[in-house]
Amino acid sequence: MRPFGRHSDVKISALALGGHHLGDAEDEPTAIQIVHEAVEGGVTFFDNCWEYHRGKSEDWMGRALKGYRDRVFLMTKVCTHGRDQDLAMRMLEQSLNRLQTDHLDLWQIHGVSFDNDPELFIRPNGAAEALRKAKQQGKVRFVGFTGHKDPTIHMKMLNTGFPFDSVQMPLNPFDANFHSFEAMVLPELNRRGIAALGMKPICGHGDPVQKGLLTAEEMLRYAMSLPVTTTISGAEKVGVIRQNLKVAQSFQPMSADEMQALRQRCSKMAADGRYELYKVTLQFDNPEARMAHGFPLDMQSEEVQEMMKATLNTGDPFPKLQK
Amino acid sequence: MAQNTGSGAIPRRSWGRTGLETSIIGMGGYHIGSAKDLDTAKRIVDEAIDNGIDFFDCAWDYHDGKSEEWLGQALKGKRDKVTLMTKVCTHGRDKNVGMMQLEESLRRLQTDHLDVWQIHEVVYYDDPELIFAPNGVIEALDMAKKQGKVRFVGFTGHKDPAIHLKMLSHHYPFDTVQMPLNCLDATFRSFEAQVLPEARKQGIAVLGMKSMGGSGELISHGAVKPEEALGYAMSLPVAVTISGMESLDVLHQNLAIAKGFQPLSASALQHLRDRTKYEASDGRYELFKTTKKYDGDVGREQHGYPSAKELPA
Repeated sequence: MRPFGRHSDVKISALALGGHHLGDAEDEPTAIQIVHEAVEGGVTFFDNCWEYHRGKSEDWMGRALKGYRDRVFLMTKVCTHGRDQDLAMRMLEQSLNRLQTDHLDLWQIHGVSFDNDPELFIRPNGAAEALRKAKQQGKVRFVGFTGHKDPTIHMKMLNTGFPFDSVQMPLNPFDANFHSFEAMVLPELNRRGIAALGMKPICGHGDPVQKGLLTAEEMLRYAMSLPVTTTISGAEKVGVIRQNLKVAQSFQPMSADEMQALRQRCSKMAADGRYELYKVTLQFDNPEARMAHGFPLDMQSEEVQEMMKATLNTGDPFPKLQK
Repeated sequence: MAQNTGSGAIPRRSWGRTGLETSIIGMGGYHIGSAKDLDTAKRIVDEAIDNGIDFFDCAWDYHDGKSEEWLGQALKGKRDKVTLMTKVCTHGRDKNVGMMQLEESLRRLQTDHLDVWQIHEVVYYDDPELIFAPNGVIEALDMAKKQGKVRFVGFTGHKDPAIHLKMLSHHYPFDTVQMPLNCLDATFRSFEAQVLPEARKQGIAVLGMKSMGGSGELISHGAVKPEEALGYAMSLPVAVTISGMESLDVLHQNLAIAKGFQPLSASALQHLRDRTKYEASDGRYELFKTTKKYDGDVGREQHGYPSAKELPA
């Protein structure tokens, strides 16, 4: 358990369960089992987002957390992508309903990826006002933002002066070598007492692990050894959460030398960003965010293809919930 | 909103002039056929009855007959404890088709009579005309009642209040009418605003359905919580709210809401309507009104329309 930034009375587990992968689970009972095993295994921090799988991730997590809500620190994110505070507040209500709770422990701005996102966030009537309002209304305890794209955009967000409680970013041994959040953003967060939330410990979909470059355990241990509050890792299968729990339960921080050795092992492979596609391609840019910004959609993008598939006619009502 | 304690009995309501009385929540038949297997379906029905649910809905065409067959097997030895309904799916064909379907339904449900028999899925603009045409299915309703095979008759549809009103304009002595009723419906093509008052004026028992959007869309998209959705529907002046429960989990969720249920106040109802106006106003969560996805293929075929799957999204 680690302190939540400057709010040192609030402690959360060093491993967190990611919400996106939960919606990739085979079915709802599997998702529920993953959440339950995580809670029983000591995970207290649960990540989610309004737009993951068009609500399925939040919906399943809400069902899974029935009776467990008070034992966990629950986060979800709002997907205004530059739009105004009213939309953000409506999304908050929907998230609360799906998650079957009356408050969130943490509410973050999702997908801060574009150069003008910080401006749009802080403008009059922007999402910053929704964060303030939700806190005042007691619907959220803490607020923050997340993005996977570019450390300079994170710095711009921090320099809006908004009093964030947390910031989420990709942290892994590849990041240390390329457009590095670890080098540029993490020290600033620690200086300001903002809780640093790491994500993508195995580079998102685990490319380096699948190619046999590093083990999942090494990568997760590296991320957890950084000065962060928690490391968010997704699990779409029961086996994955069990493996992650095993790493976390026997966790010993890496020494500075070990970390340096790991960074060096990846430095050459990391240098063109091919293992961190979320930083360099449009493939991971959320289509909803692109539309909100008026950018064209890239039909090659997996997420755009998924979105198009969701609008195809199956003849069945959408979404099919229980089968 | 206050959480219901989930203790106590499920309240009961009388069905207007029919003299029937049932639990305020009924079990939807479509979802019985969506259960994992027959065994699960039986356990769901058993547990529902043990906990005070005694109205069971079904239809001749649900899952090509599987829903009726499973419900029939699950109700073995318990037929007298429940109010049983099924629906006839002539979709414009004549009364003989209706009577044949009735015999088939009775056989599958393993009973010699139905408590309620409704005309299913009145959703196309020419349906009322076809139903009331000479030799139409309305004559089957008369005949079945006379023969003692059904006690009460009605109709149902999920599409458009105007079609329901056209049906009611015939002033046929329907005992029941079924319609979608939920807090979003109040804002968009509203059965609550247009049909419910007329049905009550004619003394017809109203059966609500789709309290959560048909497949739980109101919940999964986050418009409302399950207890708000079901609580809203059960607080309206209806005889019963029919809810599909394809798993024990869903049954338990609904039982927790229905047991000891206290109707929401008028202001709480209004608050829910107001709160969901944004989600309601383009019908995106009431897909049964706005898309073809809830229109059964049997009905589409009879009308000469392509199947729902063959349509563009």
